[in-house]
Amino acid sequence: MEVKDDVVFKGEHLLPQQRVCLFMGRLMYSACAKDCGLGAYASIMAASISGYTFSSVCYHSANSSSDHEGFLLGEVRQEETLSISDSHIGSSEFLNVIEVHNHEPCAQLFSFYDYAGNVNEENLNRILKDRRKNVIGWYRFRRNTQQQMSFREQVIHKQLTHILGIPDLVFLLFSFISTANSSTHALEYVLFRPNKNRYNQRISLSIPNLGNTSQQEYKVSSVPNTSKNYASVIKEHGTEFFDKDGVMKDIRTIFQVYSALQERVQAVCCEVDQSERVREKIQEEVNKLKEEIALRKRNSAEEERRLQEAAAVTLPDNPALPDSSHSSLTQVMLSGPSVEPSLERPVNSSSPPIYSTTLLPDSPSAILLPRPQAVGSPGHPSPSLGLGNGDGSSSDSLNRQATGQEDQEEDDDEDSSEYENLVSEQLQLPSLTETVTLGRPATLWPDGDAHSPPGS
Amino acid sequence: MAVSAVHLESDAFLVCMNHALSTEKEEVMGLCIGEHRLADMTGRPMRVVGWYHSHPHITVWPSHVDVRTQAMYQMMDQGFVGLIFSCFIEDKNTKTGRVLYTCFQSVQAQKGSEYERIEIPIHVVPHEAIGKVCLESAVELPRILCQEEQDTYRRIHSLTHLDPITKIHNGSVFTKNLCSQMSAISGPLLQWLEDRLELNKHSIIKLQKEKERLTQELASL
Repeated sequence: MEVKDDVVFKGEHLLPQQRVCLFMGRLMYSACAKDCGLGAYASIMAASISGYTFSSVCYHSANSSSDHEGFLLGEVRQEETLSISDSHIGSSEFLNVIEVHNHEPCAQLFSFYDYAGNVNEENLNRILKDRRKNVIGWYRFRRNTQQQMSFREQVIHKQLTHILGIPDLVFLLFSFISTANSSTHALEYVLFRPNKNRYNQRISLSIPNLGNTSQQEYKVSSVPNTSKNYASVIKEHGTEFFDKDGVMKDIRTIFQVYSALQERVQAVCCEVDQSERVREKIQEEVNKLKEEIALRKRNSAEEERRLQEAAAVTLPDNPALPDSSHSSLTQVMLSGPSVEPSLERPVNSSSPPIYSTTLLPDSPSAILLPRPQAVGSPGHPSPSLGLGNGDGSSSDSLNRQATGQEDQEEDDDEDSSEYENLVSEQLQLPSLTETVTLGRPATLWPDGDAHSPPGS
Repeated sequence: MAVSAVHLESDAFLVCMNHALSTEKEEVMGLCIGEHRLADMTGRPMRVVGWYHSHPHITVWPSHVDVRTQAMYQMMDQGFVGLIFSCFIEDKNTKTGRVLYTCFQSVQAQKGSEYERIEIPIHVVPHEAIGKVCLESAVELPRILCQEEQDTYRRIHSLTHLDPITKIHNGSVFTKNLCSQMSAISGPLLQWLEDRLELNKHSIIKLQKEKERLTQELASL
């Protein structure tokens, strides 16, 4: 370690891993990538997601009557930024960049885990296929819930971390709340890093955009200059940039790039449009088939019942019901797209069909529940009371959320977060009608009327 | 007669949000195409029924100017509605980001007084496939941005008193701005389109299988 004490490092302690060379007034610094101790290593997290991916998640969520979830695909990079300041000798900043490139939506809940939060690796692989290596996290969209991970989500997260072998797996939580009259809605989102210690749990998620492409950068006048030399040199050599029409060559070139790109965008868009129409059509056909099947089953069930009743009236001992009609009934009640085995309640053939009168033509997962109007899950004091004091400053409730209500008992978590609108739970519908009547005071609103809008 | 509620199809919602998230430095705006559902459906063609704009970094509530603008629109069409998307909001303490949207109309409390906003319920309605019109709107954005840039450049270019260095500078600004548009908008848009295409292909295969299964089941009944 070559150090000129009197020049640079006045009494500062140098760690053996750092080597600093002082040469002709220039300070050259090299550091190892490991943690070099206090003050010499700082890690900053940054995360980004494109507006299109973000909107796409919102779109899929809007199409789900229940909660919605999926995986985040992308890349995590580590960039080292060297900074030398007077106070910290050669402090190295590591910028961990989490880039979300796109998302893989899950078609329904419980597609890769069960009620206990056990992850099924087979199902996981089926969903992800070859995109598994691009997974950097997963996301969940819930309505009217707190901005924290539920117990089950934490359990799932741990398992995903282990199964996918991603120590720094992230979790993006979207929470949707509305005013009582549904005129204003908010989508809140927080990116969690649950595998790190409590201190570093949340990361800012930025959405890169056009931002600062200002048209005000055009110059409308030249800097005044009477120098003939200047004028002649720039005229003579500047002509390189212009074509015979006096138009800058660069303009034409970049415009060509843009045109080609826009053409490609248009072409892919046409393909997408076609695929949307095909998908729509097949979906309609599938829906019709389901309706038809349900109708036929309903009719045959009705027939059977009438025959049964007629037989019971005329004959003392009833003929045994043919098994096929019963099993088809139970099939209609319980069948649904990839329902976890744990959800199916075994119905033995002698018990009367419970839902014979309420058979829906679509699969149970298509039950459309009314959107909850109010904030807060039933049976719990609204967690958002005091959410926002009009200027985005943290209120008590926000602090509560930030400093970790992870200490809440499991039961509590099960209730509040499992207010997750579980449509796939066929035999137990969450009592959403209750929440519709729960009023939500208008003053709950962040950036409420107390905040006078900037004059525009 | 105030509007009782607004139903925003989820694919239109998608396009609005894309637009709102395209820039945090200015407000963007667009028009909403749809129809009024009256008791007697007259089967009128789709028309402009409202406007939307974004409030990057600022509160979702309409400003006085917004309320006045909305009132002007309502003079032409009582059923005209206004939507505002507030985005690029972050609570630094909790690292919580927010996107809000609201629907409103304007009303004059008393004759001669300032306009006030009234809240209109808005619901985003599921729409499984993305409509053709929405897709076309989405890919229109880069075109509009480029057109705006060209218009600005043309005005600058027509100034003849500029020296070559300034002209080169301006040409570079145009190039730079177009590059920003391509990397911030066109690129991500193209990526999203490709992903959507891929997703649709998989969905179609799955649906095809289900259709076959159901067809067999129906035949067996």
